[in-house]
Parts: sequence; structure tokens; C-alpha cells
Amino acid sequence: MSNAMPMTSKRQLAWVFDLNKCIGCQTCSVACKVLWTQDEGTEPMWWMTVNTQPGRGTPRDWETMGGGYQNGTPSLGKLPTPEEFGGGWDYNYDEVLRGGKGREVHLQKIAGSKSWGMNWDEDEGAGEFPNAYFFYLPRLCNHCTQPGCLEACPNDALFKTDDGLVLRNEDLCKGAQRCAQACPYKKIYFNRMRNVSQQCIGCFPRIEQGVAPACVRQCPGRAAWIGFLDEAGGPVSQMVNRWKVALPLHPEFGTHPNVYYVPPLSPAPLNEDGAINESAPRIPPSYLESLFGPAVHGALDTIKVELDKKRRGAESELMDILIMYRWREALGHLDRDPAEIVWS
Amino acid sequence: MTPNVERTGNGGTWADAYRNKWKWDKVTWGSHAVDCYPGGCPWRVYVRDGKIVREEQSATFSPIESGVPDMNPMGCQKGCSWSHLHYSQDRVTRPLKRAGERGEGKWQEVSWDEAFTDIADAILDGIEDQGPESIISLMTPEPGAAPARLFTIALGIPTTDGNAEFQDFSPGFYLTWGKFNPVSSMDDWFLAELTLIWHANPVYTNIHWYHFVAESRYNGGEVVTIAPDFSPSAVHADYHVPVRIGTDAALALSMCKVIIDAGLYNKRFVQEQTDLPLLVRKDTGRFLRGSEVSEGDRDDQFFWADSRTKIVTPAPRGILALGDVDVALEGTYTVMLKDGTQVECEPVFQILRRRLEGYTPEKAGGICEVHPDTIRMLSRKVATRRTKIFCGWNAGKYYHGDLMERSMALLLGLTGNWGKKGTGTRSWAISAMDGGSFMANKGRAGQDAAREWAANLTKARRFLSGDDPTLTLEMLTYRAAQMAVEQGISPGGLLPRMIPPAFLWYYQYGYKERWNKKEWQDPSMKRSFDEYLNEAVEKGWWSSGLPSAYQEVEPRVLFESGGNMLRRQRGGQKLLLENLWPKLKMIVSVDYRINTTGLYADYILPAAQHYEKMFYGMPSVHHLNFVLMDKAVPPPDDARPDWEIGIGLLQKIEERAAARGMAEFTDRNGNTRRLQGLVDQFTLNGAIQDEETRLDEEIRDNAAYGILPEGTTLETMRQKGHVRWTGWGLVGHGLAQASTIKPDEVHNPFRWHTEDKIPYPTLTRRAQFYIDHEWFLEAGEELPVHKENPGHGGPKRKFKMTSGHNRWSIHSMNLTNNIIQNTHRGEPFMFMNNRDAEKKGIENGEWVRVVSDVGSFQITAKISPSVRPGQIIVYNGFEPYMHREWFSQSDAEPGVVKWLGLAGGYGHLQFRPFHWQPIPADRAVHVDVERVDTAKAGRAAGRERKGRRR
Repeated sequence: MSNAMPMTSKRQLAWVFDLNKCIGCQTCSVACKVLWTQDEGTEPMWWMTVNTQPGRGTPRDWETMGGGYQNGTPSLGKLPTPEEFGGGWDYNYDEVLRGGKGREVHLQKIAGSKSWGMNWDEDEGAGEFPNAYFFYLPRLCNHCTQPGCLEACPNDALFKTDDGLVLRNEDLCKGAQRCAQACPYKKIYFNRMRNVSQQCIGCFPRIEQGVAPACVRQCPGRAAWIGFLDEAGGPVSQMVNRWKVALPLHPEFGTHPNVYYVPPLSPAPLNEDGAINESAPRIPPSYLESLFGPAVHGALDTIKVELDKKRRGAESELMDILIMYRWREALGHLDRDPAEIVWS
Repeated sequence: MTPNVERTGNGGTWADAYRNKWKWDKVTWGSHAVDCYPGGCPWRVYVRDGKIVREEQSATFSPIESGVPDMNPMGCQKGCSWSHLHYSQDRVTRPLKRAGERGEGKWQEVSWDEAFTDIADAILDGIEDQGPESIISLMTPEPGAAPARLFTIALGIPTTDGNAEFQDFSPGFYLTWGKFNPVSSMDDWFLAELTLIWHANPVYTNIHWYHFVAESRYNGGEVVTIAPDFSPSAVHADYHVPVRIGTDAALALSMCKVIIDAGLYNKRFVQEQTDLPLLVRKDTGRFLRGSEVSEGDRDDQFFWADSRTKIVTPAPRGILALGDVDVALEGTYTVMLKDGTQVECEPVFQILRRRLEGYTPEKAGGICEVHPDTIRMLSRKVATRRTKIFCGWNAGKYYHGDLMERSMALLLGLTGNWGKKGTGTRSWAISAMDGGSFMANKGRAGQDAAREWAANLTKARRFLSGDDPTLTLEMLTYRAAQMAVEQGISPGGLLPRMIPPAFLWYYQYGYKERWNKKEWQDPSMKRSFDEYLNEAVEKGWWSSGLPSAYQEVEPRVLFESGGNMLRRQRGGQKLLLENLWPKLKMIVSVDYRINTTGLYADYILPAAQHYEKMFYGMPSVHHLNFVLMDKAVPPPDDARPDWEIGIGLLQKIEERAAARGMAEFTDRNGNTRRLQGLVDQFTLNGAIQDEETRLDEEIRDNAAYGILPEGTTLETMRQKGHVRWTGWGLVGHGLAQASTIKPDEVHNPFRWHTEDKIPYPTLTRRAQFYIDHEWFLEAGEELPVHKENPGHGGPKRKFKMTSGHNRWSIHSMNLTNNIIQNTHRGEPFMFMNNRDAEKKGIENGEWVRVVSDVGSFQITAKISPSVRPGQIIVYNGFEPYMHREWFSQSDAEPGVVKWLGLAGGYGHLQFRPFHWQPIPADRAVHVDVERVDTAKAGRAAGRERKGRRR
């Protein structure tokens, strides 16, 4: 480790996504894409993605690729291939629209993956009709407290900022891709044009100006919050620390991720005879545990208890946080309107 | 804020590269003139070095009602990548003239002058040869594209009604309320205690405001999704009710029965707001009418009985208030008619109770495959909570969607669930368009002219009320629109003369054969489709001369602006290409991109994109805001704003008409249209020089009409970006809301009816569940019933194809956005159940062929247990040219219409723009799914097509 690169941060920014509000619309993904990854070399990158769970996700089967820490020891996992990330499609527009071939040709992919895309298994889910189930899981770099990528980098290119973001000094990155092997969430892409790896930059240029990251500020489902974990009164801290309803994804990966999720409730399933079964959840609890660890059961219980209070006409502080009466409050200290900025 | 990257000592060139990427040198207000229900999200558009770099939701809506979440940050992924469409490969920036066969895709760039000359000549030829009805102008759902069609307004050329073109009509709600557009503002959804998501998929289609549903749940409300499939909108529901496809009426009626039997219905609401207490003659099944009871009395005077005194009295026509009458809902009453005969009468409610006997939860459960206990549970919930039905326009696209919607409305009516916060249904509604619509009427620039026009209009409305002082402003406005249709004129200013396209389709597009195909129509039809159609024509129910015009006049010119007919038309492009296309001498597509219709056009005129012109976002009742769409950059190359295209073409028409000595023409309705002075009319004699002065004038006029706050101008809009309406105006569906806009309250419609007791614009002046039109009586549909979906597409075929708007695009507009393509499979796909796929050996991602009696199309299969066995779901919007062979979903849809849509001559069953008319059914089409020999199909589709066709 280089001395110039702090391993720890003074404070830690954290994201919370409410999976009961996320509708899989990809506005976060698209907002990120339009802002950061439209240049040559970055086309197949989606630093922010939303996938249907259960599913194979992106990169395909990422949950089985390894990395992170095993019993505290850093481990390198599989390096996802471009085909597994998928997408990167371009099309034969000229041939179809201006080529004079009429119906002999249709719009087809002429570049990119043949078998996968960042949202290929959208809305497929699991179970059997009528008891099928699925939900949406937004993912970005977890800006981990113990980032495997940072440890694995042979060029000391990765570092934690004072705000807790994990960033890459692209001037130092030599494209070794050890970071991508080490990252258990497989959120690191490789830019073949520039021979550097790239991942979510936490919208640091926006954060510097007091503006929330695009994925949070542009979420129309109002399912996203950002704030410092230690800001006791803030909604992020309230959900993570006080109510313990926001949980990290795959905590067993050992990197201490800083993106938290409010786990999903699900509609009551049906019995064989078609009657509603109020006593069983539709999504198998074991599946949710495999994603969020055993704490998921307590979190879901808390949500149900608080929801029930509202249904009985009582107050619930937790439900009021999740309702997000005033949208700006979800942005914490990063609530500046970017349009007000005048660049000198 | 300290730049934290610098502080680590790592703020190198890489960090500045990212910082610079986010910088801009200009920011403007932007929106999208798209009716995505609601469009009109406020955005900021960021420009750097003259290029649009990105957009971001402004998120600047102020909170409205205390204790209710705000509407920020309104906008979805389509809007968020709209900038990308500006520079996409299907963009067209120079006028293109066809250089090969239609559909071939060979083009020659030409000047605007050449294009306008050719098009103007073809329009004038058509008018001379056949009359204005030979020009087909299609209403499209892109309001920003309308100004390109100025010539149609100037020359009285009919425009096909959008609600038939894109079917976003709710016939069952219309039958009930005499309007279908009452819609609450989106924040009102927070206040629901029970939301039934029913015939809608808001997780796909209402991305920007679904949060109010999620938040209502956190607020203690419950969410139930009623859908055949485990729809994406069931994911966040408390219950999913997997109703069998097309049986929703049985489910709703069973709930009605449970509620009535348990005495859970809202008696006062039923007595006051609905026709359920009105008396019906037992001998004829028709309402007892004033004209039958006493000489000189009205035919639309109805009666009820007092349950205490048993006295039958006329039900007041001018007010809903009951006074001190305890209106009877049951009992039999003998009434003496004017000729001395005595007839027995009973309230509708009593008939309803008898009819509902067939809908016990057990019987209905057998039909709709919902467990009887679930029906009972839902019934109790609806009866005891503020309930909203989150519907879209899905039910209306079913053949018997009218019956489903009437049943759903009955459920809400019995439980008093409209006209108060947190209740009601959903629709689309626009308003605040008076400024633009009336601009040509006011005659000269300035707001004094606008005020004079408004005063004259009010006088004229009073005149319309004639001998009936009980007509409300809402009714008078509808009457004015109906009169304009009858006279073959525009209802005002920039509004086109709208026609129901059914007769055009029937006589000229080739639908006659399809609509008469017995096995695709409802087996309960007593007579042939043609018999009904001929009767409707003979009785003059559809505006005098309209049907005969389309029988006699052959189409010559097709003008599509901002639309894509060859994708959209239910019945398929093959029908159009075979029947309509050969008759057309000129096909024009005005668009910013080449779509499938453009590929089959003779000219493509390049329109400005949404950040390159000045307009406003869809002025929707959902958010009650006027949202500025400013010009961030000029249009590239030769592309022009729609307004300039409209004026340019108008100018050329004047010029070419003068050259051929054509000063005027007289249409079939006897209206004489001048061919000179047209541009002056629309530019107010030159005062309106460009779209900027036009928009400023429109905004100032809106303020003069009381729709926008006093003092609102383009300049103030440029500061604020959006402004909440202060009034409805007359154009659009403001009056249909029947509620007053309040600055600090959510909007919920119907409150003038429920609170102020103002009558409904129906025949009976009440929410009308009993339709005693002779055809409805003949069909057994005077009250809502369940009828099985007919066999359109092929009764013996094994699958039912359902559809809906997709998540990834508004119609076909965004499906060629490369960013969006990468968020799904990037090629056309349909959803299919995993077991069905297994039985057929179909693999996930494989190309399959969907076949019906009328045609077929190829598409890839996406396999999921969320889909109901026997169902395939094709979310619509994919460009035909994205499919192999260019055939898409609509090519398997027969496009049948239900005969009752032609009923007229009865109270509110009369055409006015956007309302009552026949609309084609495209849901639950019977199809088969076949595997395609992939090796074979991989070869050039065109060469193989013939051999593979079945």
C-alpha cells in the first residue's frame, strides 16, 4: 500500500435502496450511463444496473464468481468476460433505413454480445405460476469499507476518499484487472481503448458541488437515499443503524459494503385451491437470506410491525421515512439543485 | 463543500476529465411533448459547445397538500436519455424523397421547396378530384407534432380521432358517466386506503409516479393487483388476484353482489348519484319517460318513487340533491300513461339485484378462476375503504371491455368511491390548451382580443342552452363539440375537424370483411355486423354525410405527423399496404426519425427534436402544470420545427392554388373554404412571426383566460420552468373533471357532482348503469354482464395474446434509442409461460412465429413463470422493421370492433372528438405459437417468406 492512499475514511457515505419502491425502471442506470459512459471504450459499461431477482444478473452469474474476503483473507475470483457483461450492441440502421433492401433485412445487432445484456433476464423471476415471484435489485459499486479491489491493485491506483468513496486514480491504473477479480460484486469494467479499469465514481464531481449522485437524485421511484452513516438524524443512519431495516448485500463477501437495501415484502401466495395463504411469504425466506444474510428476517418483521401500525391508524416513524414526504430530504447534505451552478 | 478528491492528493488529470464531463455552458428548461400519461415532466437540458450533453429532472415541484408527498423528481429513463435520440442513427435532418419503391429504403435529399411543391400539388389535386375527405390526416399522440398539420385545420380536412387510432378510450366509463377522462392528480393516489391495480401495469407505464402507490401502502393503504399474469405491478402488491383473461366483469359483478347482499352498499350515494333508483317499465324494459306520462313532457324526463309514500315523481334533471324524498331502490309501482294505460315499473336497482343472482362468488369464481373467499374478502375491503381503481386503457381494448369497465364503475358506485379524495378511477386528461387552440379565432394579436373572444364564446354557450336551463357548462361544451362535428367544421382555432375513423376503415382500409366475420365476433350478436352498421348509417347516428363520404371518396393523400401508422394500426400493415396504399398518390411522414411508416412514404419531412423547438409538455391533469419546453439548440441541418413546417406548407398551398386559379372550394357539408389568406389567419396577420412569439402569445392568452396566473409570459416561464394551473379553460378535459383546482389540495374529480350535486352529462343526468338503447336491450347488455371474449384471431387457437405499453419506450419512439435498447434484450420479444415453452420445446431467446387467422409475425420468446399458462404477452411498440420480415404484433390482430360501438341517437351516445365511437379490440386475440427453423430463418427473410407462410 502506498502511504499517499488512505485505506480508511473520515466519514462514510452510504446509499440506501428500498426494494419495496424500486420498480426496475433503470432510470438510475440510464442517468449514470448518459452522464459517464458514452465515450468510445465505455459503451458496454453500466456502472449502475438494476436486475430482476432471482436471476443471473450482470455480469451473468456474478454471484458465483468469487472474490472478496474468505475468513478475513483477500481472495481473487473470476474475471468476468465481455460476453458475460453482455450488451454493447450496435445496429445496422443504414442498411435497413437507407440501404434499399426493403424487407430483406431487419434491424439486427452488428456488434456486442450474442447471448447476454445487462438486463437480459428482466422480469423472468422464479417459482411456478400462480406463485411466481421476483423483485428488482439496483446495484452500483458498494464503496466498501474494506474494499477488495483496493487491496488487490498492484499499482496502488485505488483509494478511499474522505467521504468514503472508493475511487481509482486512472493515471496510475495500468489495466491489470486484479481489482475486477477481487471485487465480489463484479462491478468493475475494463476499458479496452484506454487500458484502464473503470467503475462507479460515486459521482464525485457532483458530490464536490453538494449535488447528490445521479442514481439517487434521478430515481423517480423515490427508492434511493444517500447520506453519511454517522449522521444520526439522517434517514440513511436511521434505516441502517436505528431501525436496522436496511441491509448490505451478501455481507458474507466480507468487504463491508456501503450500499444498503430495504428487503422486499411480497404478495401472499395462493394455495392449491386458489385461496390466498396469508401465513406464508411468496418469496422464500431462504432466498432472501442468501442475499442479505440472516438479519433479513428481523428487518422484514420490523417493516411488517411498523406497516401494521399505520394500517391501524397509528403513527410510525419508520414508515414516514420510507414514504419520503419531502423528496429533498432523501438527499441529505447533497440537496443542491445542479442547475443553479454557474461554472466560471 | 471541500473537493475531497483533491485532498487525498490524487486529483490528477483523470479527476478533471470527470469534472469536465459534468460541466455545461448553457442550461434550459425542457420537457417532452409526448402523451405518456402524463408527459410534461419538467427537465433541465444541459448544453456544452452547442451540443446537448444530457438532461436531468428539475425536481422543482413545490409540495401541494400538507401530509402528502411531493411529485419530485418526476421523469423516467426515456426522458433521461432523450438527448441521445437527437443524435441517433435513425434521425432525419434533410427532406427525403423516395427514390425507389415504397418500403425499399432508397432516398434522395431534396429541398423544402421541392417537397412542399409536390405535397401541396397532391393535396390540391385530391381536393379538386375528390374533396377534402380524400386527404387522410391522422391524429397522433404527439401534441408537439400537431402544428405541422395546420393545413388540415385551414382547409377543413378531417383528422381521424386519436382515440380510435390509439384506442385510449374507456367505453364502459363513458357509458356510465358520459365522459371517461375524470382523473385525479397523481398525489391523490397517496390518499387511497385500497388501490386495485386492475387493467394497468403502472410499474411499466407510470414510472414517474408509481411511488405514490408505494407510499400509500406505507401510509397504511393496501394494494391489490388484479391481472391474469403475475405482472410487474403485482411485485409490490399485498395480493395478486390472477383473474382468467377477459373475465373481469364476472369478478367485479360478484363483488357487487356480495356488497349488496351484505347491505354494505352506500345507499345515499346510490340514491343520489346513480340511475339505480330510476323506474323502468316492466313491459318494455325501457325507462319510464316524461313523454309517455304526460303530453308535452320531455323524452329525457325520468322518474322515481318515494319509498314512504309510494308516489312516483319526476327525478329532477337540474340537480342531484334528493331533497326530502326517500328514493326507493326496490318495489313495484303502477304508473298511468298519458293514453290511460297502466304500466308496472321497478327501479333499476331491483333489476340489478335479480341479474346479479348469477354472480355468487361460487358461480363467478368458476368463471374468473378467483377463489370465492378472495372475492368476499375484496368485496368487504372495497366497501369499507377509500378505494381507487388504478386502470389504464387496457380494459377498453378488450372486445367486451365496455362491460368490464361498467362493472368496475358499478363496484365503485355502490360503495360511494368517487368524488372524494383517495377514490375513483384513472384516465388521461389534458387541459390548459385554450391559448393555443383559440389563437386563430381571436383574430388579432394581444390579450384584449383573447378576452373579447372568451366573452363571445360564453354568450354563444348561453345561446346553445336554448329551452333547457338545466344544461350545465360541461354539457353545453359537449353540445358545441357535437355541433361542430355535425357541421363538418373545427370545434375551434387550432383544433382539427375530427371524425371517427370507423367508416374510413370500413370502406377504404378493408375492414368490411373482417368485421363481418362471424366467428371473430360475439356469438350473442343477433344480426350481422353489416345490418347493424347499415341501421346506424340510415338512422343518421354518425353525423349526416360522414359514412357516405367515406364510401364515395377515395383516399389520395396520407399525412402522418409524429405517428407511425404501419406499426399502430390494429388489423395490421398488410391490410393497409394491400387496400389503402395503392389508392394513395402521396404519403408524407413528418418526423425526426425514419420509422416504418416513413419507410413506406413518398416524402419524409425532417422535424425538429424536442429540445430544438418551443412547445410545452403534455398539459396533464395528473400534475396540473404548464411545463415549458424551451429550445436548447437549433435544429440540425435542414430540420425545422413543426410550426415552421406547418406554415411553410400552408404558404405553398396558397401559392400553388393561386397558380392554378383555384380561389376556393366547397366541401360536402356546404362549407366554402378559401385558399388564400391562410397564413395570415394563423399568424394573426404577421404578428406571430415564429414559434417563440407564438408560444409567448399562447401563454399570455392562457393567463388572460384564467388558466395560468396573471402576468405569466414566456419570460416568467423561462425563470420558473413550470407553473400550476389556476383554472381549467374550455378546451380539453378540464370541465370533465368537475372539480375546482385548489392551490393547496390534491385534485380529485367528480366533486361538483358529489358535493355540489351538479348533474352528470348522461342521458339520465346520473351515473348511468342502465342503458336502455334498443341495441343494448337486444344484446342483453342494458346492465353490465359478463360475456366471454369472442374468438377473434381464430377461436380454436391455443393461446391468447395480451399486450400493454412497454417499460422501455413510448410507443415506438424510444425503441431505437441505443441506450434504452441495451436495458432490455435489444430485439423484439414476447413473454411466455415456462411450461408452455417446455411443451413446445421453445428455448429462452429463440425466435418463434405467432400466428392468427389474419397473419403472423416473428419475435423472440422470453420465458417466465410469471406468465399465465396459455397466455403470451407482447408489450407493444417494437418497430415492424425490428422484426424479421417486418411484420409485428398488429399483423396478427384482426382489428375487430364491437357492434355496440356504433350505437347512437341516444343521450350521450353521440360522437364528439375523443369520445363515443367504435374502437378496435386487440386484447386476448387467439393465436398459436410455432417454432421457427432457426437455420432457415437466419437466411434472408425476404427470400424465404413465401415458402414459410401458412
